[in-house]
Amino acid sequence: MLAFILRRLVSVAATFIIVSLIIFFMMHAIPGGPFDANDMPVSEAVRAKMMAQLGLDQPLWVQYTRYMWGVLHFDFGVPYQSPGETVTQLLSRAWVPSLVLGGLGVLIGAPLGILLGMAAALNRNSWIDYFASTLATLGLTVPVFVTSMLLILVFAIWLNWLPASGWGKPERWILPIIAYALIPLATYARYTRSAMLDTLNRPFVTVLRAKGLSERRIVFQHVLRNSAIPLVTVFLPMFIGTATGSIFVEAMFRVPGLGAYFVSSIETRDYPLEMALMLMITFMYCIAYLLSDIVYALINPRIRVGGEQ
Amino acid sequence: MNALLKIASALAVATALTAPVLAQTTVVAPSGSTTGTYMDYMKTVYDRGTGSELLQIPIATFDKEFELTPMAAESWSQSEDGLTWTFKLRSGLVWSDGEPLTAEDYIFALQRAATSGYDFAWYWDFAGGIKGWKEVTEGTADVSTLGLKAVDDQTIEVTTIAPKPYFPSVTSLWYPVPKHKVDELGDDWALNVDSIVSSGPFEIESWEKSNNSVVFTKSDTYTGPWSPQIDRLELDPTLNAPEVGLPAFLAGDADYSFLNTGQVPVATQRYPDGIRKNAVFATSYISYDLDAAPFNDVNVRRAFYHAVDRDELTSTVLKDIAIPAGSILPPGYPGYNESVVAQATFDPEKAKQFMADAGFPNGEGFPEIEIWYREEGGYNGAIVPAMAQYLQSEFKEVLGITMNIRVLPGPEWMDGLRAKKNNIFIAPYEYDYLDPSNFYGIFFNGGRHGYFVPEYDEIVAQADSESDWEKRVELYAQAEQVMIDQGLIVPLVHPVTIAVISDEIGGEGSQPNALGFTPLDRLAHYFFTHITKQ
Repeated sequence: MLAFILRRLVSVAATFIIVSLIIFFMMHAIPGGPFDANDMPVSEAVRAKMMAQLGLDQPLWVQYTRYMWGVLHFDFGVPYQSPGETVTQLLSRAWVPSLVLGGLGVLIGAPLGILLGMAAALNRNSWIDYFASTLATLGLTVPVFVTSMLLILVFAIWLNWLPASGWGKPERWILPIIAYALIPLATYARYTRSAMLDTLNRPFVTVLRAKGLSERRIVFQHVLRNSAIPLVTVFLPMFIGTATGSIFVEAMFRVPGLGAYFVSSIETRDYPLEMALMLMITFMYCIAYLLSDIVYALINPRIRVGGEQ
Repeated sequence: MNALLKIASALAVATALTAPVLAQTTVVAPSGSTTGTYMDYMKTVYDRGTGSELLQIPIATFDKEFELTPMAAESWSQSEDGLTWTFKLRSGLVWSDGEPLTAEDYIFALQRAATSGYDFAWYWDFAGGIKGWKEVTEGTADVSTLGLKAVDDQTIEVTTIAPKPYFPSVTSLWYPVPKHKVDELGDDWALNVDSIVSSGPFEIESWEKSNNSVVFTKSDTYTGPWSPQIDRLELDPTLNAPEVGLPAFLAGDADYSFLNTGQVPVATQRYPDGIRKNAVFATSYISYDLDAAPFNDVNVRRAFYHAVDRDELTSTVLKDIAIPAGSILPPGYPGYNESVVAQATFDPEKAKQFMADAGFPNGEGFPEIEIWYREEGGYNGAIVPAMAQYLQSEFKEVLGITMNIRVLPGPEWMDGLRAKKNNIFIAPYEYDYLDPSNFYGIFFNGGRHGYFVPEYDEIVAQADSESDWEKRVELYAQAEQVMIDQGLIVPLVHPVTIAVISDEIGGEGSQPNALGFTPLDRLAHYFFTHITKQ
């Protein structure tokens, strides 16, 4: 197990370097730079001076090596969009709202989705099954900015129960959390339902029933555990996807989170911030898949990570 | 018991009466862009913190009727030869930290702008024509050679390269920079609320950098004209998009919101008294590379000029968000000339004739072209893509040509324009100061499009330095006649932004002016100091 983890960490490092190379050179391949004005051109002399100040006049490989050397020391540079603070400070500031809303969204949506999926599988073709399927399909197909708009319309404007948007007071968090939670809820309801139906039809369930086990024990102890593998596969990556902020949810609900930086850092050619965001996501996904693999082994002893016999 | 009740009710009435007096009035408004670096207009314009301009006091600014009003200046005068302007500042102006505001703070702002890579530096050459500006920005002359001088603490002297009768209106974008703060902290003074000082009607309370929203309060130290009538002002760029702004407005979270085409009828029905037209002076037009085929032929350009049905365009696809443009100048803008506008007719026969004269009868043999436009948000984002598609089908039908459309991010579009990487563009322009020289300067001596038309340049140069207003206007009309005769551009539409405003907002600022425009965020100094809130 330890050897497996070590081997995987080495591959994480390799992935990290490859991704950083791709992102860095793609960013610099986009025409235009951080000081290309929209309306009237900045004079050539001035532009050259500003590029030199940020080291952008150096050859690309020098810039890359410098940046990655900094990364090794946890120095991600200074964002062009927000001088006066480091990328690390910016991320730790802007990530809080995204993490709170997205994290809570997944933590609320995922268990609800599992319960709904279970209820649907256990009462196949009943009203609850149809309800779950409809909700799951809608949750996955309707774009999140449409659901956000509907939530605002119903709860903020028609019923006037909750504020339409904003950040700060916890009552402002409710609607965006619901908007976030719908995605994991829908995903989980679908996965749980089909995985449980699969397992429920397996012969060992009939044996358990014949042994006289209570239905509750069969479902929670045996069926659920045997259906858990696909759920684990989905959980961590989804958590990362949501907890790094959604540009749509954050824009609709005016949340000062991380989401918009993914776009604005490309638009404004904010190389240090874009690199840091991408490296952060890469790193988190690598770790998430590693953790998922370990959890697989824990819930299903037949899985031997690293191919050990 | 009875007495107790009386006292209690008296207290209740007293509280009820004093509560509204004690309550702070806060206005929440859409404004700015969601990214901003420095809270300093003279450091960066395109990447500024929201409301940077509202924190400082300009030399002069425009009121609701677009009349130039002295702000920091008390008076100004022009020298005999027209080359030197002298501005006298009001006495008693101070920074919010108590330091006196002096002429030196204004001079320093421009000296730094000329040397530090200010992204709006072009304005001071293009509009201001300050002596030595070009040389200093290009690094070939020392900053001390600039035509700027603080004669004493309250007198500023500006020397221009040619007489600039409209120079005072240019100073509506001349804000001071606290030299004492820059000496202490460098440009970083404008990065944190703790070190930001203001000289204008508002001071800063907080700044959320993740979306560039700000909270301002009425300044305690401001002694200039136009003191705010509200206590707090929240400017929030996340409210700019009508899709977000209107729901927030309906839920009572915002005091006004801009509207998109779909929202206009709904909002008009619900708030018939709350609909306002924002004072945006802007024009969308087609420009060319005049040296590249097929647009190096004046007949082709004139064919395009007559091939656009502006009335149909603005009554169908752009309903409520644009009006037809027959001139580079928008209606209501100083110098606007009906006789110029009347020439911009939709005349398919004429257009076809021009094409035939150019050797392309019914578009035969005309190369396939691609029109480039700039990807952006705001009112242009709502107008330009739809307009490009309309033009595509219109040109096919009227001129018999094939025009493809390409959208580019801002910097690439600008690069395409500057380096002449394409031959036809849709270009939007919004005014910077209220004088015809602003719009005619776009095409002057290279300018934005690399146009060098000697005949045009000569007339514009003459108009720019003419001190008699009637004569100036006449000269600008002549200059535009050159534009028409040579088909330099095709004026397409003037964008209109429509907003809905809460009935709790009162005061002169909330009411339309003589032309039917309401200042809103475009004349921010006037608007935010002339509104009240219940």
